[in-house]
Amino acid sequence: MTRKIAIYGKGGIGKSTTTQNTAAAMAHFYDKKIMIHGCDPKADSTRLILGGMMQVTVMDTLREEGEEAVTLEKVRLMGFNGIQCVESGGPEPGVGCAGRGVITAINLMEENEAYGSELDFVFFDVLGDVVCGGFAMPVREGKAKEIYIVASGEMMALYAANNICRGMVKYAEQSGVRLGGIICNSRRVDGERELIEEFCAKLGTQMIMFVPRDNIVQKAEFNRKTVTEFAPDCEQASVYKELGRRIIENINFVVPTPMTMDEMEGLVLEYGLLDVGEAS
Amino acid sequence: MPFIRLKCDELIPEREKHTYVTEKEKSIIPLCNISTVPGDMTERGCAFAGARGVVGGPITDAIQIVHSPIGCAYYTWATRRHMSDQYAWSLPGRLDNVAFNRRYCVVTDMEEKDVVFGGSRKLLKSALESIRLFPEAPGVIMYTTCTSGLIGDDIGSVAKQIEKETGKLVFFAEAPGCSGVSQSKGHHVANRQFFGQINEIRRKQPELILPEEERTPYDIVLVGEYNMDWDLKVILPLMERIGVRVLTTFTGNARMMELVRLPDTKLNVVHCQRSATYIADMVKEGYDIPYVKASFFGIQQTNKALRTITHHFGLDELAEQVIAEETARIQSALDWYRERLSGKTVAIYVGGPRVWHWIKLLEELGMKVVAGACTFAHEDDYEKINSRAPDGMLVIDNPNEFEIEELLETCKPDIFLCGLKEKFLGRKMGIPTLNSHSYEKGPYAGYVGFINFARDIYQALGAPVWSLINGKGE
Repeated sequence: MTRKIAIYGKGGIGKSTTTQNTAAAMAHFYDKKIMIHGCDPKADSTRLILGGMMQVTVMDTLREEGEEAVTLEKVRLMGFNGIQCVESGGPEPGVGCAGRGVITAINLMEENEAYGSELDFVFFDVLGDVVCGGFAMPVREGKAKEIYIVASGEMMALYAANNICRGMVKYAEQSGVRLGGIICNSRRVDGERELIEEFCAKLGTQMIMFVPRDNIVQKAEFNRKTVTEFAPDCEQASVYKELGRRIIENINFVVPTPMTMDEMEGLVLEYGLLDVGEAS
Repeated sequence: MPFIRLKCDELIPEREKHTYVTEKEKSIIPLCNISTVPGDMTERGCAFAGARGVVGGPITDAIQIVHSPIGCAYYTWATRRHMSDQYAWSLPGRLDNVAFNRRYCVVTDMEEKDVVFGGSRKLLKSALESIRLFPEAPGVIMYTTCTSGLIGDDIGSVAKQIEKETGKLVFFAEAPGCSGVSQSKGHHVANRQFFGQINEIRRKQPELILPEEERTPYDIVLVGEYNMDWDLKVILPLMERIGVRVLTTFTGNARMMELVRLPDTKLNVVHCQRSATYIADMVKEGYDIPYVKASFFGIQQTNKALRTITHHFGLDELAEQVIAEETARIQSALDWYRERLSGKTVAIYVGGPRVWHWIKLLEELGMKVVAGACTFAHEDDYEKINSRAPDGMLVIDNPNEFEIEELLETCKPDIFLCGLKEKFLGRKMGIPTLNSHSYEKGPYAGYVGFINFARDIYQALGAPVWSLINGKGE
């Protein structure tokens, strides 16, 4: 059965980078058949897999050639290790309705049977904060059953992650979506691992992976490649390989218990004060 | 008497606070202008309908553009029997003239892609295209609906662009259907935004302001007069005879250019006080121009209106002269109808103000209003109803079809003054009806209009078909 996974997290936290690196590792090391559906109007969720190629987006095709023209041949490209790539696309910032674009694109892909059973994994890489119903589309009606949230030890990332969990709870019952864990994309904040682990415990989930910060990721990005493709033997590649393995073998799926504002503040205070104490 | 609960409202007890019976000096104000209760099959329209249909619609020479999917523009043209008048110079060979209102409606037909990528460009394109098709139009009026409102299409910047590229006047109203509880919100928005745009146009193009030498001390604007079935044909001559000059109306049969000059008046006379007191208030605030409220329905109220207006200008004698002439002129006809209509009972169901506009008029015909209902009235409308209503009149705010049926069953009016939808209910129940929104054969305003009104009531009551119902014809 195809496992559909949605990746959420604060804007700029590294969702697309993490998704693509993990997907590449899963395809390369475990021979999984994978599709990435980018749900960000910027349409930059697949460039590392496709080697920098900007692909034709679903919404652009719909706009310019009409609904009939949206076929898999047109909007789906094969990238590194046979990973299938689709980009929803959408409007420029400040106009139109990007959320509606996500809904339309996913519906069109379903009509075209893009999420076929030959796939092992489909990743939905979704725009930063879930600002409206459209960006919740991947977890509605059971489209994606698993969510992973990318976060770091920075407070705003945790706020966003907690907020996403609040939205998730609403959908958990009706669509059966579950949280598979938090991926810590390290920012080298003091006490980051402990903070995230504490945060995960409060949410009732696990920190599925601590991804250390490594320049090789940026280097690979400059070369329009994932780490796995750029330097498959490096330390960071094995981190993504391990993350891939953990996702494949994951059995820890929960309905998160989001924290109240007060609890969040408490957590922030606890770890924030620690920081001040050390400095003084 | 307090609120009452109709039988049909057993399952929606909230409706009780919208339903009451009048009592001298002690009448209550129902809940009104609030959200519709779930389960109540309301007959309300939406805010967009209020802006497009009521306030913007009657403006004669504008290209009316609805920025929405095609469905929102359903029933936005040819909705009234009466059209606007023609310009003397309307071109031979052209389909009629430039009086677009009622005849045409432009819609951008937003589709999925316009929602996702934004529809502003399509709106601009539609506007420029329609201006090319109708070069004689002085401007356009644009309306947003739920769809364009929700995605936040910047209609204001499109308006600026149209002005820049074509030099045409542009008004717009942003009253998406979801922005209020009924069409009333749309009236308010259109008042506020049109007034703002009028000010902006006057600031940028001061040459459009009415020059001092073309003004008179007796200039008025009829605010909230929508020229239903040519009411203006009777009101305008009356105004001329009492010595005032009508600069324009807001917005019955109005031209866009005239509306730009709306603040150049000396006095505003507010007829529909629900949908247009807003702009009279704003003109008073911004230009220090006073307004008076008036009703042009029935003899007493028309008399009062003429006296109020002339008193403002010190022309009292003229009013008395006109009143004397006009009442004498219609007296015999009035007597004839009064004799035949006396003792009949009436139920009125309209948008709001006409319930109170018509209570006195019907009394002048010897008729009694036994029930009244309003779709979108506010507290002040119910105050006016209460001050005019006879004792024991059933009043329902925002009624649904079951409530109307019960109203007709319990009050048993001889005639039902209502809209286009409810007339079928009335007729099926054997009750004559009269189109009270756009009239049967108007105008109904003023003295002559009053007689038309009486005639239509008489004809409705006396239609031969009523002698055939319930076995009467056998």
